Amino acid sequence: MNFWFAVLRQVGRNIRQTWPSQFMTFLTVSLSVLIFAFFYLVYNNMLNVGNKLGDDLQLIVYLEEEPGIEMQEQLRRKILAFDEVENIRFISKLEAYERFANQLGENRDVLNDMPRDFLPASIEVVPMKDLRSLSQVKLFSDYLSKLPGTLKVQYGQDWIERFYYFTRLLSIIVLLSGGLLILTSVFMVSYTIRLTILGRQAELELLKLVGATNNYIRTPFLIEGILQGLFGSTLGIISLFSLFQWIKIKFSGPGILSLFEFSFFQPQTIFTILVISIVLCAVGSYSSMQKFLRM
Amino acid sequence: MKDDNRNGTMIEMIKVSKTYPPDVYALRDVSVSIADAEMFFLTGMSGAGKTTLLKLLCSMEYPSNGLIEIGGRDIQKMRGKKLAKMRQKIGVAYQDFKLLLDRTVAENVAISMEVSYKKPQLINKRVKDLLEILALTDKHNAITGELSRGEQQRVALARAVANSPTLILVDEPTGNLDATTTARVMQLLTKCNNSGATVVIATHDHSIYRDTPHRIMELRNGKLHLVREGSAQ
Ligand SMILES: Nc1ncnc2c1ncn2[C@@H]1O[C@H](COP(=O)(O)OP(=O)(O)OP(=O)(O)O)[C@@H](O)[C@H]1O
Ligand SMILES: [Mg+2]
Repeated sequence: MNFWFAVLRQVGRNIRQTWPSQFMTFLTVSLSVLIFAFFYLVYNNMLNVGNKLGDDLQLIVYLEEEPGIEMQEQLRRKILAFDEVENIRFISKLEAYERFANQLGENRDVLNDMPRDFLPASIEVVPMKDLRSLSQVKLFSDYLSKLPGTLKVQYGQDWIERFYYFTRLLSIIVLLSGGLLILTSVFMVSYTIRLTILGRQAELELLKLVGATNNYIRTPFLIEGILQGLFGSTLGIISLFSLFQWIKIKFSGPGILSLFEFSFFQPQTIFTILVISIVLCAVGSYSSMQKFLRM
Repeated sequence: MKDDNRNGTMIEMIKVSKTYPPDVYALRDVSVSIADAEMFFLTGMSGAGKTTLLKLLCSMEYPSNGLIEIGGRDIQKMRGKKLAKMRQKIGVAYQDFKLLLDRTVAENVAISMEVSYKKPQLINKRVKDLLEILALTDKHNAITGELSRGEQQRVALARAVANSPTLILVDEPTGNLDATTTARVMQLLTKCNNSGATVVIATHDHSIYRDTPHRIMELRNGKLHLVREGSAQ
């Protein structure tokens, strides 16, 4: 009780004394949270869109002739040699015919004159639903088309590949901005705390002499770091949310953007971002404090 | 600072030396025991090593040689929380005061109580009482840097005794004071001593130890000599 009273009074003093640099730190932290969260949000939404697109993505390899059991095994091995896949299915000429006939439904009579093996046999390859696999669909299809006995390879929308490539690029940006967030919050906070310590060196030395425990000296600075993290990340998230709302309203009319549903972070994600920022800022403050206490 | 092996001794110094680089011998082979609740005068010319001795006792500095025990514990072995706890029990009025000049007088006095988490009401009352005893009541909310040296000296003393420490070290407590104020200061120290604190006073103010019944020792060239045995106990 008295401990917290003493600690909070100290926090108040620190803030009153060094508020300009505290404020700068606060802004920097919120800006870096904003940048990181922005890219992360875009990335998240791209992933969602991608999932929808990727759901029915498959490569169809048309074969020159019906493969025997042994040949099927050889092809399967060859395909897996390129990459793991989710599923490989061999479609015989007969199956292809049946399928086509079923698709025609009532009109299947038109096939009556056709030989039952007029459609080529094929392999349906469903790639793994992850970014790495999806972003190299083109490469995969080139690879498949070079397999012996392949007529041609077909896969739906070839822009999908570019989409996934972009998403992968975005994931790198998310990582970079995450790194930026870590650097700025840890270093800015530890820098401002160091400024505070320098400004109050005499007092902190005296506190040691009159028997203040390390916790007594350290806790106010830790709280300062935690507050920086809490307020900084809250402001960052709020700004992002406003930006998000603004974009949503601005582009809510018919257009590409309205094809997909954009969503903001889940509460858990927001919570995680807040907690991580707080932890980072606390680490920054703790590290400068330790340097001082070891003297 | 309870310890069963201490036999009523607060301070135990055995063959303590302190040298400052390169070759200043501030203290040489100083040995002395000071009892619980003893009042002890340490005199000596300027530069004799009085301040150095007090700094060793409050573990601001460490001896180059020898053993120092406070309340039965080797102070060189204390670190972290133990050291902090011990320092809370030692009140020191430094020769250079070490006051926070941008804070009020009351805040300066309170600091030694704050670090041991005394209740705010208790702190306020104690601060008021002490300032009254030292004739500083009207300076309660004054900025410490604006006080005269004599006033600052008393603030430093108030801070030293505020937390009711078991060991009080005062360095030159009356250097800037007139006779009346000196008497007030000595009264306060005597009162602390009577309620059980060990008090060590380093001074070259002859007037405050001339008539004292307590032990007086003198530092000369870093060596400790007995001037007069105490007759009080
Ligand atoms: N940090 C230091 N570095 C080097 N020499 C020091 C240091 N502190 C004290 N000394 C030297 O040690 C000797 C004793 O100094 P000390 O301050 O203990 O004397 P004192 O008895 O308190 O003097 P005064 O009565 O003037 O306060 C002096 O010669 C001083 O110059
Ligand atoms: Mg001195």
